[in-house]
Amino acid sequence: MDLVRHLRYFTVVAEELHFGNAAIRLGMAQPPLSQRIKRLEEELGVRLFDRSARQVRLTDAGRLLLGEAREIVARVDRLHELARQGQGTVLKVGVPPDLAPAAIAALVAGFREIKPEVRLAPAEIWTADQVTALAEGTIDVGLVRHPVSAPGLEYGRILVQAQGVLLAEDDPLTAVGEVHLADLAGRELLMPPKEGEPGLHAQVLSECRRHGFVPTQVHQGAGLGLVLAGAAVAFGPKAELPGLAWRPLLGSPIMSRVSTAWRVATASVNEVIGDFSAVAVRTLKERAGMTDEGAVPARRISRRPGMLA
Amino acid sequence: MSAPDFDTLFSTAGVRGWLHAADIDSGREVGHGADVPLPTASMFKVPLLVEFCRQADAGLLDPSDRVTVPAAGRSSGPTGISAMLDEVTLSLRDLAYLMIAVSDNGSADVLLARVGREAVNTMLAALGLHGTRVLQSCQEFNDSMREDAGHPWPFVDPDDVARLRALDPERTNRSTPREMSALFGMIWRDEAASAESCAWMRAALNKQVWPHRLASGFPYDDVAVSGKTGTAPTLRTESGVVEYPDGRRYAVAVFTRSFSTALNQPRADAVIGTAARMAVDHLRR
Repeated sequence: MDLVRHLRYFTVVAEELHFGNAAIRLGMAQPPLSQRIKRLEEELGVRLFDRSARQVRLTDAGRLLLGEAREIVARVDRLHELARQGQGTVLKVGVPPDLAPAAIAALVAGFREIKPEVRLAPAEIWTADQVTALAEGTIDVGLVRHPVSAPGLEYGRILVQAQGVLLAEDDPLTAVGEVHLADLAGRELLMPPKEGEPGLHAQVLSECRRHGFVPTQVHQGAGLGLVLAGAAVAFGPKAELPGLAWRPLLGSPIMSRVSTAWRVATASVNEVIGDFSAVAVRTLKERAGMTDEGAVPARRISRRPGMLA
Repeated sequence: MSAPDFDTLFSTAGVRGWLHAADIDSGREVGHGADVPLPTASMFKVPLLVEFCRQADAGLLDPSDRVTVPAAGRSSGPTGISAMLDEVTLSLRDLAYLMIAVSDNGSADVLLARVGREAVNTMLAALGLHGTRVLQSCQEFNDSMREDAGHPWPFVDPDDVARLRALDPERTNRSTPREMSALFGMIWRDEAASAESCAWMRAALNKQVWPHRLASGFPYDDVAVSGKTGTAPTLRTESGVVEYPDGRRYAVAVFTRSFSTALNQPRADAVIGTAARMAVDHLRR
């Protein structure tokens, strides 16, 4: 018998504790799954599941063996993964640490689909460090936040996304559907590290000042604990997070602008970089709600007689 | 989603309130007692402005015609030529500007005499605004309060206030929240008069000086607020248009009656802005 495959069935049944559900997950019918578990039990000489009650339960022996079985299955998977990687090129990619996890996952999956022979090695790096890493060749391609200026870099298509504000869910400002930057006056702001995102820092803070929001303090970090605690607000894309509320910003004053970036001289992997850029554009549009950069609307200042009297 | 809790908002400011707000382009609307007939006080100057423009469009008057208004016999009021001491000579359209920007009663009554109140009412009926009527000039409005109270301003005795015809929509200039916001919608959509006249009306309404009511709800550089207030004892109103940076625009009319007869009630003024903001926010969700 193929012991590893049988152990994989065992771990899935142990997770589901339901033969029907486990069979669906494994993409097979239930009778052969039951049969294989029975064969595994014969092979090991112990009963793994207690099927006497109405529900399926792990026996003591089953519980004892489950951890070991998982370890074996994971190691075999890793073995196959390493074998695959040994064959192809590796593309080292930098992504911002605060990019949505779902977007990173979609990026990796999307790229694997069109370039299965190239292994993607993503690393979480802020924009400024990506610029250095690109220059040093530590990464081949980055996903950077604009504005960024660095000699010798080329950029992919710029995508934009209007940012909203994240507030603690009991914040009184959540009563309105849309928050104006001026409404945030007197609050503290949480932003990504200034050293890592200098361009973003300068641009966001200048927009805030222009619209009547001068944060009493600017905190730096990627975690949202301060927002959850009600001690600060943060800007970001629409998100549903426990304990937090997201509101759009009136007039869309804060825009996130990202693109891929690579060194002009990276000719050797240029074709792969192009593929990655295309996947990045598609994924960020489909999965992260970004859009092509349009014309920047002219800022309009409403005129009220009281401003001049 | 359900409409905001306007009742609680108004009552915490010490007033009863009625309002109507509509997206000028989509027609999406929210109301709170939107069809209740209410006194307009100085907001009647908006239909007067519209009829003035329509007569100019029709060639019945020349807005640049200069008129001399003697010092004696001018309608009383705290602003504009009502507050000035000497004879003035101004064009009709500059009188109209003063009537809107600072709610000048003197200018309004000169224009009302020129345009004719029946013409204003005929225009309102033609626009389908059957709940809006102009019955009194500013001077008649002020005189009626003096007669009803038996003494000149101020009117702060609740018994006096209860007697005022100026607060009875049957006997004074009247409208409804829905019709006031509808009229503003027509001005913003170039339907109330010629496009050129509507643009000029919008500019005049945008020059209104008062920041304490509708505009107070939108304290943002990139949001434009235009409007016309109306005030009488316990009555505070404003109708106008709020324009957002994304180009969407909303006609809003808010009427309030305060429980107290005190003349200074900043919260009662500010709740007009707060209610308007809630209504617009609701329309944008």
